[in-house]
Amino acid sequence: MVSFDLLANAVVSGVLLGGFYAGVAAGATISFGLLDIANIAHPAFVVFGAYGAFVLGQRFGLDPLVAALFVVPVFYLAGLAVHQVYHRAFERRGDDSMRGLAFFFGLMFVGEVVLILLFGVDYRYTSAAYASTSIKIGPVALPLRQLIPFLGALVILAAAQLFLSRTFIGRAILGVAQDATAIRLMGADPVRLKRIAFAISIALAGAAGALLLVLEPVEPAIGREFIGRVFAIAVLGGMGSLPGTWIAAVMLGVIENLTSIFAGASWAPAVSFGFLLLTLAVRPSGLFGR
Amino acid sequence: MENSLAISGLSASYGHVLALQDVSLTVEPGETVALLGTNGNGKSSLMKCVMGLLRPSAGSIVARIDGESIDLVGLATEEIVGRGVILVPEGRHLLPKLSVEENLYLGALRRQARPHIRRNLEASYDLFPRLAERRRQAAGSMSGGEQQMVALARALMAEPKILLIDEPSVGLAPIVVKLVIDAIAELKARLGLTVLMAEQNFHQAIRVADRGYVIVHGSIEFEGRSTAELRENELVRKLYLGG
Repeated sequence: MVSFDLLANAVVSGVLLGGFYAGVAAGATISFGLLDIANIAHPAFVVFGAYGAFVLGQRFGLDPLVAALFVVPVFYLAGLAVHQVYHRAFERRGDDSMRGLAFFFGLMFVGEVVLILLFGVDYRYTSAAYASTSIKIGPVALPLRQLIPFLGALVILAAAQLFLSRTFIGRAILGVAQDATAIRLMGADPVRLKRIAFAISIALAGAAGALLLVLEPVEPAIGREFIGRVFAIAVLGGMGSLPGTWIAAVMLGVIENLTSIFAGASWAPAVSFGFLLLTLAVRPSGLFGR
Repeated sequence: MENSLAISGLSASYGHVLALQDVSLTVEPGETVALLGTNGNGKSSLMKCVMGLLRPSAGSIVARIDGESIDLVGLATEEIVGRGVILVPEGRHLLPKLSVEENLYLGALRRQARPHIRRNLEASYDLFPRLAERRRQAAGSMSGGEQQMVALARALMAEPKILLIDEPSVGLAPIVVKLVIDAIAELKARLGLTVLMAEQNFHQAIRVADRGYVIVHGSIEFEGRSTAELRENELVRKLYLGG
């Protein structure tokens, strides 16, 4: 018999976890959903971001949230560079789908190896004090290590959403994958827009990485756990809708948590794909597709 | 505001297929000039050359904008748009998943148009009240005529100095064609724009045009200095008037 307390805790922690997943998936929603770039290395960039925050914490004693302020601009620049390579080698020639995927796969593995060479395979964690404290509301526990990534991800999504819906460049980014010629005829360079959008997606991955370090200890290959979830969320969220991404991610977090309680933790990873397949069968445009 | 367009000796091809051959035409300030021709005769190719989407093999395209002469050949599309040469493309090229208003905002992407966004948005809704009712609707879910109105309003948002309109009537029901042409006439009357309009619907085109050219197989076959001259021309009679 499952008690009410257990259920309530599972749901709340699922919401918190799902909120964090939304932060991880936000960048993929932009690159995969809006730009048609299947950046399978997106979760790997999140892990790079986590290590970036870890190093800044170890060397300069920075809190992961403060470290994020330094990680984001560096990752933005890295994103510009990666898109430059991707565009020249694949996108411009029009064979971006399969070869592009292989490119990002390679990037992911090389990145993992570099992390292993630099840091070894041991788990790394933040020494921030709040990582081990918890707020209690009645029977429900709100561990700060979950609450802070939840709130941080909310900030990431809100900022990205405001940028996309309220600025000229943002709106043009929303349109660029739908009709690049139309965007050119309005006076913007589609390649430049895609480069900016991709760089933003990588910058968001960096920020999510700092949140990951708050949530749990990291090791070089931990990003793989997120690949399925991230792409499931991007599709469920309606390919390119950030509010949809948030809702899909929270639903996934809750369902995953409930599954691990009722069916055992080993079933949890199957949830994202099961949920994805079911949704695609019933509603191919995702839960919140336009 | 003396904005004009002069094309001379323009040739262009797709691979070995010649699309335009030694085409010369002019649009004087404030004029609406029709480029008449049936499908596949080079109207769209000419528009693409002006916009830098198709590179001509010979000839020149000179826009005179606010007293400055600019050679458009070799400029990137973004630069040409930046100068105020705006195309309403064939097939409209709206962003189907964005709302009507988001499409209109994107019309004002051009830096010079941004300060006037509010005024131009009001003008667009004033000209097309239908769009005001549907401002939140996805552009792709509207009827063909409404989509053409969005495309025209979007061009208006860009503060055009020279406006090109490619086949505004294509794919529309006759009664809707009339509405769209009326709207172009209204636009012309209100703003005194310099307009080059490609159209295959002769009767509708000459309702707004001051004069026109007939293009056949990529060459200008006839220049009508007035709509009367066009109507009386043998070639036009043969192609359009069933005589």
